[in-house]
Amino acid sequence: MTSFTYPSISLMELLGYQFFQNAILGGIMAGFACAWIGLFLVLRKEAMIVDGVAHTAFGGVALGLLMGVDPLITALGISTVSVFGMSYMKRKGLAESDSAIALILAIGFSTGLIIISVAGGFSVDLFSYLFGSILTISRSDLLMILILGIVIVAFLMLLHRELLAITFDERSARMMGVPVNAISAMFNLIVAITITLSIKIIGIILVVALIVIPALTALQLRVSFSKTVASTIIIGLVSVVAGIIISSFYNVAASGIIVFTMVLIYLATAALVRVKSR
Amino acid sequence: MNKDVVIEVRNLSVSRSGSLVIKDANFDVMKGDYFGIVGPNGGGKTTLLLSILGQIPRMSGSIRLFSKDIEDFDEWEKVAFVPQDAINFDANFPLSVRELVSLGRLGRNPIGRRLKKRDWEEVDAALEFMGLSEVADKRIGELSGGQKQRMFVAMALVRDPEVIILDEPVAGIDAITQEKFYQKMSDLNQRRGITIMMVSHDLSAVFCRMSKVICVNKEVNVAEIRPDVDIEGVLRKAYGEHFHFVFHRHECKGEFKA
Repeated sequence: MTSFTYPSISLMELLGYQFFQNAILGGIMAGFACAWIGLFLVLRKEAMIVDGVAHTAFGGVALGLLMGVDPLITALGISTVSVFGMSYMKRKGLAESDSAIALILAIGFSTGLIIISVAGGFSVDLFSYLFGSILTISRSDLLMILILGIVIVAFLMLLHRELLAITFDERSARMMGVPVNAISAMFNLIVAITITLSIKIIGIILVVALIVIPALTALQLRVSFSKTVASTIIIGLVSVVAGIIISSFYNVAASGIIVFTMVLIYLATAALVRVKSR
Repeated sequence: MNKDVVIEVRNLSVSRSGSLVIKDANFDVMKGDYFGIVGPNGGGKTTLLLSILGQIPRMSGSIRLFSKDIEDFDEWEKVAFVPQDAINFDANFPLSVRELVSLGRLGRNPIGRRLKKRDWEEVDAALEFMGLSEVADKRIGELSGGQKQRMFVAMALVRDPEVIILDEPVAGIDAITQEKFYQKMSDLNQRRGITIMMVSHDLSAVFCRMSKVICVNKEVNVAEIRPDVDIEGVLRKAYGEHFHFVFHRHECKGEFKA
């Protein structure tokens, strides 16, 4: 039977370690970007795109490992192609949104499996992309996460009102002169970047949770948009930072703890909202 | 061309799904008009509006907005549209009334520009004019049907438009609220000089308050609402000869244009 060991190190001591600093910085950036983007995806009823693109990115990671290039770069390329592919299929009426996601996911993931088997099987590295390994991210990983994160946050800060108008009513936004097609294309690209950024933090399997659960939790509060954005980001950040600290103390998988924390906050919020509304 | 012509429609024909919906329409909307659009369901009222707004292609004819062919028209901030289904939004969408109305400023500002103090002053002024100041911080899903309609008009107003086009804005709203809404639109038209085009099934309201009427049932007939114009004859062309229209002109309380 496995038992938890009590931490023999303090938080201040942990903060002195570079692996922990990398994890906290990368986690904060990923939590911030994912939560904000996630709110728009949930409101656009496109949350499952994240799961589809993340699984497709598996093909990109496998390709990167096979070719000996940074798997995050190949994952970004494949994610971008897949998110535009889903969008194209939906727009042209080739498939319903969920069917398009299923098809592209199947293509990406099966290609990844073939590449892995051709390359001689699974490696520890591959598992770190599947399940995340925030406590082992390197300085170069961190640099890439920070650059991608800044791109995402800059896009949202600049265009979040236009994006909100499109999300609320695309036809009205178009009639008000908002360049709907251009902003939607940029949004697709940003979604691909966000997913790629999160793969090292939380892993391909659970990335959908990092993006979707903070928004679902904040939406229960039934407050204005600006307060919903703030709540979503706070929930994302608290979950990620708490998850990293707890997993560092108790040596438990960080991605699991992060998502578990998010689910606990979601359930606690649901209970509080119900009690308050009685 | 007369620069007071806001919308000029000539020989307009529009078909949807292969059948002719608007046939050879000709009319002008002048600056300051309060234009009612009436006609039976399925007669082509919404199609007419959407083609004027460039949202659906036309089969033949021409549309000019503010003296420019619609293909060359690029001053959409002058035109505000409140669609028929505007109030059927997701009631759980996390927006306050003030936030939604502020989105109306998008067309007036360059892409990506943050709202300034003046923008918020415009938003608050529009909310006050439409009688929504007290619910400004409420979520949009918490409003009544009438308040939702006024919210979308406020959103249109912050664009500072020269013409507002409304498609059945009072459908499904009780009679008293409808009356208040028509009063607000009259105020906008008379006090601010905003040209208004409004689809309505409420013939009494149209003939009491508005200056011109378009009857649409594939064919489009236009009439000024004046005592010497045979309004009932125009209506019969749209609704059919067997219909009889009884107008209680005394109910217009002095606001009847005829």
